[in-house]
Amino acid sequence: MGGMMGGWKRLSAWAACALMMASPGLAQEKTGVKSGFILPPGSARIVLMRPSVIVGAQSTGGMFEPNADWTDEARRNIDRAIQDIQGQLGNSVAAYDSEAEEAGALSGEYRSLFTSVADSVREYQFFPGNRLPTKKRDKGFDWSIGTDVADLPGLSNADYVLFISTEDHYGSTGRKMLQIFAAMGGVSVPTGLHKGYAGLVDVKTGELVWLNADLQMGGDVRTADGAQKRVGQLFEGFPGRTMPLAQNALPGPAQP
Amino acid sequence: MKRALLALAMALGLPGVGHAETFTLPPFTQAYEPQGVDERGAWMTADEQERLLRSSKFVIRDDGLNHYVRGVFCRTVGKDRCANVRIYVMRMPEFNATMYPNGMMTIWSGLLLRVQSEAELGAVLGHEFGHFEKRHGVFGFKNKRTMSDVMAWIGVAAPQSAGFQYSLLGQVYAFNREQEREADMIGVQYLAASDYPSSAAARVWRRLMAEQDASASARGRKAKHGYAAGYFASHPSELSRATTLEAAAVRYGDEGDEGRAAYAQALKDWLPEFLGDQIKRNDFGGSDFILSQLASDGWSGPLLFARAELYSQRGNPRDYVTAAQFYAQAIEKGYAAPKALRGLGLAQLRTQQTEQGKASLRQYLQQSPDASDASLISSLIGN
Repeated sequence: MGGMMGGWKRLSAWAACALMMASPGLAQEKTGVKSGFILPPGSARIVLMRPSVIVGAQSTGGMFEPNADWTDEARRNIDRAIQDIQGQLGNSVAAYDSEAEEAGALSGEYRSLFTSVADSVREYQFFPGNRLPTKKRDKGFDWSIGTDVADLPGLSNADYVLFISTEDHYGSTGRKMLQIFAAMGGVSVPTGLHKGYAGLVDVKTGELVWLNADLQMGGDVRTADGAQKRVGQLFEGFPGRTMPLAQNALPGPAQP
Repeated sequence: MKRALLALAMALGLPGVGHAETFTLPPFTQAYEPQGVDERGAWMTADEQERLLRSSKFVIRDDGLNHYVRGVFCRTVGKDRCANVRIYVMRMPEFNATMYPNGMMTIWSGLLLRVQSEAELGAVLGHEFGHFEKRHGVFGFKNKRTMSDVMAWIGVAAPQSAGFQYSLLGQVYAFNREQEREADMIGVQYLAASDYPSSAAARVWRRLMAEQDASASARGRKAKHGYAAGYFASHPSELSRATTLEAAAVRYGDEGDEGRAAYAQALKDWLPEFLGDQIKRNDFGGSDFILSQLASDGWSGPLLFARAELYSQRGNPRDYVTAAQFYAQAIEKGYAAPKALRGLGLAQLRTQQTEQGKASLRQYLQQSPDASDASLISSLIGN
């Protein structure tokens, strides 16, 4: 905590962390594709893992308040939006057999592993000021979750696995009031967090061939239209897509 | 009769009754459903955690052990209450147990290693169930949120008021300690109402303090057992918990069979495994204390073997001398696993008993010729 925060530095670390919890990444890149990777339409079978969806509010102090109704609603909306967009991905996309998923701890572990790897990509390659020496842009896009992913039950016929996760903290009224009052005193209090990851993993090599990771996503997943927009953004830059979703277009993805 | 009286006493004395919250008091009923946005959110989060946890590699899936732990739980809190709780026995060597808002409970193997009777286990299980019954998860969440909200406003409105914010932060921890105290009292009340004696509850904490003493002393330190908890402590101090629980047990004055022998019998097969985990924690004093507690009725083969492993793991030259003796005694007592011969042989090689050591290792290889370290051991024997 630098001196520029003035009186704030006297806040207990705990309160400060609570306030900063939603601090957004600045000037982040959002998309990465493995060098030379192309996915011609009709060439691959893709399996979609059960999307991880969590929705709640952000209290005045910055705590996450999980909301069961919003999460249920968002899961339904996102599932429907993914179904709608599947036809535009240029390849066959099938949902992961949920019974196989129940059978093993493995799929849950891989979902967590994917999220950890995606966090690392965002932190150490997408953030220009913070790139590790081996993750500079001229080093390409080289990430993997390990070859053992092929051992997941039910993937024997698949070429790629698609992981999707979204997490939304909607700023409460109290949080927004706090933001306004703090702004009057020249202090910035971030409100809300809207994080989304989508990634494609090559089953045979375990390599992450495409990733879209964004901490400031658009679209209110609690509504059908918002979820359509969110899913459209999640698939921005998806290799091999047959038609672009122009209405949702973000600034073009950085090419490796 | 005892149980009915207790139910009445609890109903009259429950702090939740007449509380500003408009919730009806749960969950003696089957299938309690969470109420309100916060509780429903907490249950959803816990459900998602349970989905992952139930297939975790750390869950012990031995039917016998699970059935036994559940049996002790049901005998402690009564059949109506125990029905909906899911207990997961975790292979984790620390002393701990956790309760989730949705009725999922974890019991760690390190706890099973440390308690010595069904009544002591029941005290912990009753404590955890108390968190569930009094819905501590959601109330703790609400308290934390209120305090952090106030702190955020004060941070904006009066950034110079660090002292006040510090006191608010302290209240979050104090609230948590209060919940733990309440759960302790519920746990000991269940014990008093059951066939188990409530006096067992305090002993869990007394023994834990003694273990901390042993652990610290082996490291050349001194354990401190204060009565007051630290400002940022999540739980009351062990000393204050033990004292309060002892006073409660005197008040209830109930008697009963603790189920020591039955507990030892039920844990017999798992004991060597849990001891092995404990010894890997590099806590010589604590592990030796646990072993000596378990050996209060005499040193059995598995206990001697574990003690030998403990000494050879510490690995001072003198420790191998001691270890060799314990390995030999374990074998004398009929401990038949080949790894005792292996340990004995290696300890002898390190303590100027080269020929005896080679003989022990030869015997080891005869008994398990396909051991993964067979070629390494052969090279030590030198043939």
